[in-house]
Amino acid sequence: MKKLHFHSEMHLTFSSPVWDHHYRFRCIPMEDGIQKTVRADYQILPGNCRNLVSDGLGSQAFCGSIQEPHSSLTLITDGEVEIDLRERRKEELHPIYRHPSAYTQPDEGIKKLTRRLLTEYEAAGFNSGKKDRAMVQFFMDQLSQLFFYVPGVTNIRTTAAEALRGGKGVCQDYAHILIAVCRLAGIPARYVAGMMVGEGASHAWTEVYLDGMWIGADPTHARMTDESYIKLSHGRDYEDCTIDKGCFKGCAFQTQQIQVKVEEIS
Amino acid sequence: MKELINHTEGINRLLARYGVKFGIYKNNEFHEQLFPFDPLPRIIPADEFDFLEKGLIQRVDALNCFLADIYGEKKIVKDGVIPEDFIFSSKGYLPQCEGIKPPKGIYSHISGIDLVQAKDKTWYILEDNLRIPSGASYPMIARELTRRASPRTFTYQKIVDNRSYAGMLRETMDHVNTGGINVVLTPGRYNAAFFEHSYLAERSGAVLAMPQDLYVENNRLYYRQYEGESLQVGAVYRRLSDEYLDPMCFVPESLIGVPGIMDVYRSGNVALLNAPGNGVADDKGIYYFVPIMVKYYLDQEPILKNAPTYLAFYEKDRNFILENLERLVVKDVSEAGGYGVVFGSGLTKEELEKMKEIIRNEPRRFIAQEVIDFIDLDIMEGDEQVPRKADLRAFVLTGETTRVWASGLTRFSRNPDSFVVNSSQGGGFKDTWVLSR
Repeated sequence: MKKLHFHSEMHLTFSSPVWDHHYRFRCIPMEDGIQKTVRADYQILPGNCRNLVSDGLGSQAFCGSIQEPHSSLTLITDGEVEIDLRERRKEELHPIYRHPSAYTQPDEGIKKLTRRLLTEYEAAGFNSGKKDRAMVQFFMDQLSQLFFYVPGVTNIRTTAAEALRGGKGVCQDYAHILIAVCRLAGIPARYVAGMMVGEGASHAWTEVYLDGMWIGADPTHARMTDESYIKLSHGRDYEDCTIDKGCFKGCAFQTQQIQVKVEEIS
Repeated sequence: MKELINHTEGINRLLARYGVKFGIYKNNEFHEQLFPFDPLPRIIPADEFDFLEKGLIQRVDALNCFLADIYGEKKIVKDGVIPEDFIFSSKGYLPQCEGIKPPKGIYSHISGIDLVQAKDKTWYILEDNLRIPSGASYPMIARELTRRASPRTFTYQKIVDNRSYAGMLRETMDHVNTGGINVVLTPGRYNAAFFEHSYLAERSGAVLAMPQDLYVENNRLYYRQYEGESLQVGAVYRRLSDEYLDPMCFVPESLIGVPGIMDVYRSGNVALLNAPGNGVADDKGIYYFVPIMVKYYLDQEPILKNAPTYLAFYEKDRNFILENLERLVVKDVSEAGGYGVVFGSGLTKEELEKMKEIIRNEPRRFIAQEVIDFIDLDIMEGDEQVPRKADLRAFVLTGETTRVWASGLTRFSRNPDSFVVNSSQGGGFKDTWVLSR
């Protein structure tokens, strides 16, 4: 068991004032048995009128609106979470995680990669009919040989197929590709947005459904997740897990800065 | 009848004047078209209507059970009755609606069920419309005008009054209303069915609202009045499709829609008619399974038949389709409004082969049906009566109970050789008379 302290700040700035701004922040650590929130404080500026809402997939969000013109919106979260992987339990599988979604729709490239990975897996002496951690680990190892972490090449709207074609991307792209490959290979998979120990941006990874349980797999680091990951939301792909979603009136460019810090307390 | 025929021109002129039109997008331009009215009604005898009524109620009840199951327990999938491909990879399935319990547990409040009658008098279901079926306003207003033009016709024949629709609609809204006013939510005047939205709002005593008239505050939905205080909304008969309903939940680029309305709905603080996510139950793929649903949920034999349908997804059916393509009609399950419908008989040899190739590659995408030789109804063309293909859209409303409106929209094709009667593809409509004995 680990106890983690997290602190994150997100600043949205607008090039000119906006109004009638509706927001939804998926920034609340999930209570999924493994994670337990000990303490959490949330601040949304300007205005702190907000509702806690849940989506159909199990995560929660703050939503609210700001009617008055404003040029920035800040979300600060701070809290402590206990993570205990021994608390992992069997759960029922929602069938949507078996099927392609908008960002993980396989194209010929993804299909070819999956076929290749499965053949190589067999060639390495494994049984590709057995869906287990070893297989997912193998996928991640191979993926790290042909896909490279380079920020700025892809954007939040890049699909798994597009990212793979470009060969470069960030954690979101790694997660999408692994999800697409796993689903094709017969392993249900889902997208996870969250934070991990360290300082920097938020993180995204994958969960795979093996033996009736959801297991975290972080393709960006080519490893299964441990107790240093805090999960905020899960869903079919990025679309279901956006940390910040909003719409506003006004003619402005929006820039977003996220700074996350997670450290182990005990 | 003669009297009615003589009044046709006048009635059509009045319809045009009242703005009874539907809009159509062609080459990205919005055109309004009149929906020509034909004076010769479709007449449904009382006993035949009784039969249809029972069958339609049964079907809609089963579809409501199915929707509650899919967004809840998913028993029908777990029991292996319907392959999950037809549900979870359907465009109409919305995971955002998972776990939502709509007020009173009703998903499809206003269902438009399309039927045709074969030459042997058998009725077949062509399609279920559980999202925003339109068309009820046309027979309503046509009846009003024909009554005015020829009151005697309606005195001497035992025709069930169809002016009850507005009241039924109101009861349907009131039944699920969570406290507040009823509104009809229209995307605006550039929508194909804007006339209908305003007419139904007026007749049912609901407020006609554009998206910008509604807003969410403290997890409640409000209607902004031009003057005075805002009013809380308890039921929204929304004529805006799912994807544009809430930019915070569905298409974020949507300029129409009410931000946050889905959260209010999820919290049980407003009723949405029909429920978002109903598309999972009315696509052409799931159609195949509706008779099976009737047995599964209601433990009854289906009263109304589907047109004989083959699902390319099943190997046996696929082989049958490939062998008999030239006499079948193929439908793309993800298309609607008469689009994506191909008659095998109209294809050349090469086109047939190409179609077979497409079906082999994407079997999940297609169903094929026997072409039903359906009854022609006479229409007036000048002074002459000529036969045309026609279908019937029955309106089934679910509130405290499920009821069938004793009328419906009969659409006919313009073109004598055409089987497609969808109004987006040209064509006109007739009144539908249900006889009281």
